[in-house]
Amino acid sequence: MKTLATALTLLLAVTPQVHAQQNKPQALAGTDRIHFEPSYAPVESGKWSGKRLADGQPDVEGHWSNTVANHNNWTDPQGGIPGDPAPPRKPLGTREERAPSRVTDPADGQVPFQPWAKAAQEDFLKNFHNPTKPQYIEPLARCAPAGVPKSFIWHGYEIRQFPGYVVFLFNSGTRIIHLDGKPHLPANIKLWNADSRGHWEGNTLVVDVTNNNSKALFGRTGEFASENVHITERYIFSNDGQRYNYVATFDDPTVYTRPWTATIPAKRRTAKDAVDGWHYEVASNRAGKQQVIERDERICTENNIGFGHVAVTAPPR
Amino acid sequence: MIRSLTLLALLAALTGSAYAADKIPRLANGRPDFSGIWQTTSAAEFDLEPHAARIDAPPSAGVVAGNVLPYLPAALEQKKKNFANRDKDDPRLKGWTLGVPRGIYYPEPFQIFQRQRDLTLVHQFGHSVRTIHTNGTDHPGGDRNQFWLGDSRGRWDGDTLVVDVSGFNDETWLDRAGNYHSEALHVVERWKYLDANTIEYSARVEDPEVFARPWDLSVILHRHREKNFQLIEDYRYTLEYEQYYPPKPPATAPQAASTQPSGTP
Repeated sequence: MKTLATALTLLLAVTPQVHAQQNKPQALAGTDRIHFEPSYAPVESGKWSGKRLADGQPDVEGHWSNTVANHNNWTDPQGGIPGDPAPPRKPLGTREERAPSRVTDPADGQVPFQPWAKAAQEDFLKNFHNPTKPQYIEPLARCAPAGVPKSFIWHGYEIRQFPGYVVFLFNSGTRIIHLDGKPHLPANIKLWNADSRGHWEGNTLVVDVTNNNSKALFGRTGEFASENVHITERYIFSNDGQRYNYVATFDDPTVYTRPWTATIPAKRRTAKDAVDGWHYEVASNRAGKQQVIERDERICTENNIGFGHVAVTAPPR
Repeated sequence: MIRSLTLLALLAALTGSAYAADKIPRLANGRPDFSGIWQTTSAAEFDLEPHAARIDAPPSAGVVAGNVLPYLPAALEQKKKNFANRDKDDPRLKGWTLGVPRGIYYPEPFQIFQRQRDLTLVHQFGHSVRTIHTNGTDHPGGDRNQFWLGDSRGRWDGDTLVVDVSGFNDETWLDRAGNYHSEALHVVERWKYLDANTIEYSARVEDPEVFARPWDLSVILHRHREKNFQLIEDYRYTLEYEQYYPPKPPATAPQAASTQPSGTP
């Protein structure tokens, strides 16, 4: 669907009615929006005292969004894309006024790249704004799946839970987390969304991620892993069900000098949030007696233009 | 003696069928639970209509009631063009979303995840995700009416899930033989368990811009029961450019030749 156009149309349609409905409990869309925050609180691992599903899983279903920034910049999330020929008009302020690096270990906030990998990342960034070779085009701009971990910082997404599964429906890509303990796929199968095995430890969904083709890169600044990367994800949910922090350890001796950790905070959509189709990928259905919040199909490559009009769709084979 | 044997046989038959009906998986609310990984063994994807073997299709007696699709004259000409150019024009070749009903009988598995309020269908091909709402809601209308997979609203007719699908675009084909549809496509699916591992899937296809009257197709879907079977994403539209990512270590680096972690330098 035409995400932005739809979002704008919906906004125009929804906003005037929202005020009239504010006191009615059935209104499912308010006017709140995610304001990207310069800091966030840690969430401690521990017991889950919140709502549970019939199969015993903590109930974390719904629409979620990261609260800091998109994938413009991995280590200075609110710092814009370095070298941007059209930088944001709003002054960025000092580094201290912006959200911290997503790299929370090591303490310097930098990915501990080996020298060749650091050079490759800098080469990508240097060429990002004027790509002269295919490898400088951000793969998401070609409609490639955003993969692990970029999917968590690109649009909102929906979590649906089923006995034995947690399913993430992203703007670009889908992840099926298997909770049944089956072995990973054979190691030579590499996937944009990797292969995920998870289990719940109290309030924390722990996911072992292998078989990552690592082609998606982490963001427009070009940080990356190799296909040998082993990611251990901990999704630590707050007991009020409103927030979680994604804390993931990246181990990849092909690319890094040591394992490192990324943290991405996320917030669950509530009825106070607007239907904007962006921060939360939701649409409004008012055809019946009550307004229902739904998710539409996600389509990109078929629309023949990658977002940003940078990409060229491959000719049919 | 004969009488009692007949009675026994009758009893066995009765309990047998009752057993089969009870044996299908059900949700907590008693509705059939179609959760699982499914795939057809039919040749519907190659050509919905009866056809002998040809270079790009195994033979099949077809899956359409009455065998022949009731094209309007102009639409039949378009179908013939599609067939002639099928090795170039089939949207499948670009890895694009297959649509409804084609995604159901495409020969790759799809997985159904089911809650009381909806079914989530994840197709291995293209990783397309479709939601069938079973919460009593209607098609949204408005500008939410141009979908590759349509908008799906289901209701229960006993143990049969009846799904009304509309709001399509005209970009998808119905099979590899160039059978096609317009934006006026309207599909009514019927999903019904034959036994715990077999679904009878049928679809009434209506499109007044392409077909003279509605027509019906039916295929059988089988549950994948192989040990540890799972979907493996098939994003073949990325194959044209995936070799450019991620950056590779220099050929001289000790890690380059090995896929095993080689320790930190």
